[in-house]
Amino acid sequence: MAKGKEMMGPPSILIPCSYISTESNKTGAWRFLRPRYEEKTSPCSAACPAGEDIGRIEMLATQGLFKEAWETILWENPFPGVCGRVCYHPCERACNRGEFDEAIAIHTIERFLSDTAARNDFKPVLERLPARKEKIAIIGSGPGGLAGAYFLALLGYGCDVFESMPEPGGVLRWGIPSYRLPLSALRNDVSQIESQGVRIYTGRRITRDLLEDMYGTYDGVFVCCGHSASRSLGIPGENLKGVTNGLDFLRRVREGEIPSVEGLSVIIGGGNTAVDVARSVIRFGGKALIAYRRRRQDMPAFEDEVAMLLDEGVELRELVAPITITEESGEYVLTLGSMKVAGEDTDGRARVERDGDTTEEIRVKRVFKAIGEVAAESWFEPPEKGTDIKILNTCVMVNRPDHPAVVFGGDLTAGFKSVVNAVASGKEAAIALDIVFRKGLDSVDEGLADCMVGDGPAHSMEIHMKGERYKRSSHIVPYEEINTDYFSFTQGITQPRLLRDERLTSFEEVDLKISASVAMRESERCFNCGLCNQCDNCYIYCPDMSVVHDSSIQGRHVDYDYCKGCGICVVECPRNAMSLEEED
Amino acid sequence: MKRVVEGSEAVAEAVRLARVNVISAYPITPQTHIVEFLSEYCANGTMDARFLRVESEHSALAALIGTATTGVRSFTATSGQGLALMHELLHWTSGARLPIVMAEVNRALAPGWNIWVDQTDSLAQRDTGWIQLYCEDSQEVLDTIIQAYRLGELVDLPVMVVLDAFFLSHTYEPVDVPDQKLVDDYLPSWEPKFQLDTEKPCAFGPLVTPAFYMEMRHAIAGAMEDALEVFPRVEDEFEKIFDRRYGEIEAVSCNDAEIILVTSGTATSTSRLVVENLRAKGEKVGLLKIKLFRPFPVELVRKVLAPAKKVAVIDRNFSFGASGIFAQEIRAALCNTMKHPPVFGYVAGIGGRDVTADVIEDIYRRAKASDFPEGESVWVGLQEN
Amino acid sequence: MEQTMHENEYLYSGHVACSGCGAAIAMRFLLKALGEKTIIVLPACCWSIIAGPYPQSSLKVPVIHSAFEAGGAVASGVRAALDVKGDTETTVVTWAGDGGTFDIGFQALSGAVERNEDFIYVCYDNEAYMNTGIQRSSSTPYGAWTTTTPGIEWKKLRKKNIVEALVAHRIPYAATANIAFPEDLVRKAKKAKEIKGSRFLHIYSSCPTGWRIPSEMSIKIARMAVQTNIFPLYEVEDGVNYTINYKSKEYPVREYFKLQGRFKHLSDKDLEQIQEMVNEDWQRLLKKA
Repeated sequence: MAKGKEMMGPPSILIPCSYISTESNKTGAWRFLRPRYEEKTSPCSAACPAGEDIGRIEMLATQGLFKEAWETILWENPFPGVCGRVCYHPCERACNRGEFDEAIAIHTIERFLSDTAARNDFKPVLERLPARKEKIAIIGSGPGGLAGAYFLALLGYGCDVFESMPEPGGVLRWGIPSYRLPLSALRNDVSQIESQGVRIYTGRRITRDLLEDMYGTYDGVFVCCGHSASRSLGIPGENLKGVTNGLDFLRRVREGEIPSVEGLSVIIGGGNTAVDVARSVIRFGGKALIAYRRRRQDMPAFEDEVAMLLDEGVELRELVAPITITEESGEYVLTLGSMKVAGEDTDGRARVERDGDTTEEIRVKRVFKAIGEVAAESWFEPPEKGTDIKILNTCVMVNRPDHPAVVFGGDLTAGFKSVVNAVASGKEAAIALDIVFRKGLDSVDEGLADCMVGDGPAHSMEIHMKGERYKRSSHIVPYEEINTDYFSFTQGITQPRLLRDERLTSFEEVDLKISASVAMRESERCFNCGLCNQCDNCYIYCPDMSVVHDSSIQGRHVDYDYCKGCGICVVECPRNAMSLEEED
Repeated sequence: MKRVVEGSEAVAEAVRLARVNVISAYPITPQTHIVEFLSEYCANGTMDARFLRVESEHSALAALIGTATTGVRSFTATSGQGLALMHELLHWTSGARLPIVMAEVNRALAPGWNIWVDQTDSLAQRDTGWIQLYCEDSQEVLDTIIQAYRLGELVDLPVMVVLDAFFLSHTYEPVDVPDQKLVDDYLPSWEPKFQLDTEKPCAFGPLVTPAFYMEMRHAIAGAMEDALEVFPRVEDEFEKIFDRRYGEIEAVSCNDAEIILVTSGTATSTSRLVVENLRAKGEKVGLLKIKLFRPFPVELVRKVLAPAKKVAVIDRNFSFGASGIFAQEIRAALCNTMKHPPVFGYVAGIGGRDVTADVIEDIYRRAKASDFPEGESVWVGLQEN
Repeated sequence: MEQTMHENEYLYSGHVACSGCGAAIAMRFLLKALGEKTIIVLPACCWSIIAGPYPQSSLKVPVIHSAFEAGGAVASGVRAALDVKGDTETTVVTWAGDGGTFDIGFQALSGAVERNEDFIYVCYDNEAYMNTGIQRSSSTPYGAWTTTTPGIEWKKLRKKNIVEALVAHRIPYAATANIAFPEDLVRKAKKAKEIKGSRFLHIYSSCPTGWRIPSEMSIKIARMAVQTNIFPLYEVEDGVNYTINYKSKEYPVREYFKLQGRFKHLSDKDLEQIQEMVNEDWQRLLKKA
């Protein structure tokens, strides 16, 4: 409290004149409700499979603290460069601001932060636990494997990653076209992971023998080698020469091959691989048609990608399924059967079935299969049952007396395959192993529950490692708890992109960077749900001078000697970072 | 320097000589000339003072509570209705211990409208904690206002200097208007014991609980007692410089008097003449002039009146349901003496009616003729239907 | 502005204002804006108590309590005395409630501003005589329950438009302000401080106790008064130049009324009528601005 002038002291004659302060009246005794600072969980954070502390990331970005914002991402996700580009950002759908005007462009800001980190060659300062003796082997250097290795490294474990391909990254390196994910972005994230002490051994084909060896030399193994084999169509003609796997095509492109794609290519499937193949074909000068058995809105591919696909001239045929493929004078005839909607699946997508006998034939130069992938080897799959199996959210843990703790994760165990889900899986595996080593197998469930973000399923390394914000409440702040009087309508940003014609002629990255000022303006729109952003409303409106500035991280505390518990601070907190509770 | 001035001008001259800093007043007959003189002084630079031309007597005194609490010498003047309107703030002034000086021109209270002399307005304020001084002529008015600042500032109480409507306020008399230098020698600048000061903040006039209030009231009572002791010193100093003094009371021919008339204000001057005439005729009559009404100089009054056979008090005022107010005070002063004369109360001159020599002589004769008072108050000079 | 709001404290904790008192907040903001060279003249009002019982003071600036009806006059005197002493730096502020401004103190206020006394008169308006226990004043709004307008006798007269009354005196500066808009309030107080002559600030100060609202809603309700145009934020210079400071959201008044116990008896029809009154007043104001 700013020091006032000294009072005059009692006058020399007895008159009604006050000369001491009221501070001896401890008005806190009136209080029956007690306000306190209690940070909570933002809905975006709870919606993020990696549990990124997005409210805080935006707050730091608003202040121009880009390195700190980037480091805050790295608490929970070692792939900001990748996820800032290819994540399907469920965070934005959960954004409370979306109910007010437009959701924050969290995805675009993440990309901005990673670009800024790369451009400035930021070296992150991350919380780490002291080194431990246990060594962990990780099989597969895709997003799940590398994330697992990264988190284990932060938790103090020595990690060796084994990769069969000549470069790390898995699907990020070989499966996603560079116009979506440039190599530099991946390499920046991977080298950051390596800088945490993760060793990556490439070109090491994974065999059963190698796995057995690992059981002898490592204290834990994380199997996260993904799904690299294409699912079979199960139709006549599938094995013809002109019928190939979409994923293989994408890999060849990323290996540097310039494939010949003249004429019409048909891609069967509706996921991101199908879209990526089609858009790559277009870029090489070919024509592409996607044949999908359900409707556009049912496609697992990201909505934005599908929109751009159509814009780029790819034809989309909905409600058709391949029946046969035949070869005919150097070309292929693809017979498609019509489908119709017959109800809804549990995931909300249309359930389809054949619509009578209607078929059509298309003459095509080649067919790409892109209906999903499965594990390349059956022994990559986790065992399905047994008393020694622990099914976690995104992983399966196997504990047998004859070998060390083994966790299967990533696509191998994923219900929903995506980069950020793989990161989530890697994190869960790392935390689970950490709990096993520190507290024993029996503590795994409780330990994982303790570090959930909100109601889960995402876990937080910051909570697990008791970082600065680990005490935040798991209460997810709904829109109704935002004091919207403190916000005014502002338009959000639109992701800037290459023009259509520019896109069609190269594999240049489609999504463009945004400037720092745009990023700051956009992040400033964030409600920072449940987070104190030092707006100081609690201090400003306190009628009793009972919010006192101090040098703590909170920057202030409630002086309960005087606080009457009126609750104004709690109501006027724009973002519900305070709570009011009954006094004992 | 002797000048022939109106009583109102004598007031204004005293205010000028006292180097008052702020004047705040609202015009009311018969006080208006005072306001006009002072306005003129402030406007033409005769005085270096601010004149607050407020919108009511209430605000006039309220403003001075502000000025005095800020530590500057303050003056107001009013009369009759105006004083009645100020009533709440009269208490406030003394409670806050502010030595504000007021010239109060006695005027009768409405209804009906009456602008002429009557003391009920000021005497009705006797319990407000103001020192009250009643004057007989314009010289006394001038001198008393200067003394009032000295007295008030020594005991931290406000002072009301009371003069009769028209008989004093509008009457020209020769008055010695002293040199400024002499007044400066007599009246030092005021050094307040407390004041509003942003360097040393404190809060004046807050809520005071029963735990403290009584002591503060007791302190005011003490200040009034101090005023009784300080007043003669104030007069001593004044006399040294100006060779004039008036006394809390003045006893005229009282030593061997069997009947003593008690008066205040201009009725005293007439009474002096009557006493002189009666003495010439061999009547054993005396006159006691009361100047200091609050604090009431009980001991002095007792000393003069106790030896007399009868006391006849002439009141130009009335407390309904009781009696003339001076008579009450005299009775109260005497009743605790072992042996004291009966007090005859006479009410005369109400609402500006003349209190002539005949009226006063009639009062004397009535008192002489009666062994005991006919009642608490006898109204003299009432017209018969 | 930033620094003003976040530093400089001129109130002491331990004052005895009710929980959530808007008047305490209003004083806090005002003094943050005016600073330590301020003298407060305090006619009878809630703040007579909040300022502290003898020997305590909750303010870090000098205070002179005054008779209820005398705020304008006492301040005139303090100002005159400061002038005599050559103190041109100190700002004299009368800090009065709606009773001391709209009603009993109106004469002294009108007199003082007619004389264009060099001071700031602040009315912190809680729309009834709250210190004595919620009795109606001429500031009590149409529709309100008070202890002297109970039951079906709820107040069926409009609130006096005090700012227009002051503007009619052609004073250099008159403005409304509201505890839910601290920056606007502080800006106006600072602006007023720099102007010579009589300045008037009408600060809407919610009263949880008297309005029958939960204490934590104190600011929220105050903000709604502005959002609904019940209490528009505006300022008037030299009695003629109007500026409206808040672009109205024109929320329906119903939202404001239904949150307050003092209005709970009002029917839909009453609320419609009140909405019309508010609309009319707002249109009048727009015409002037």
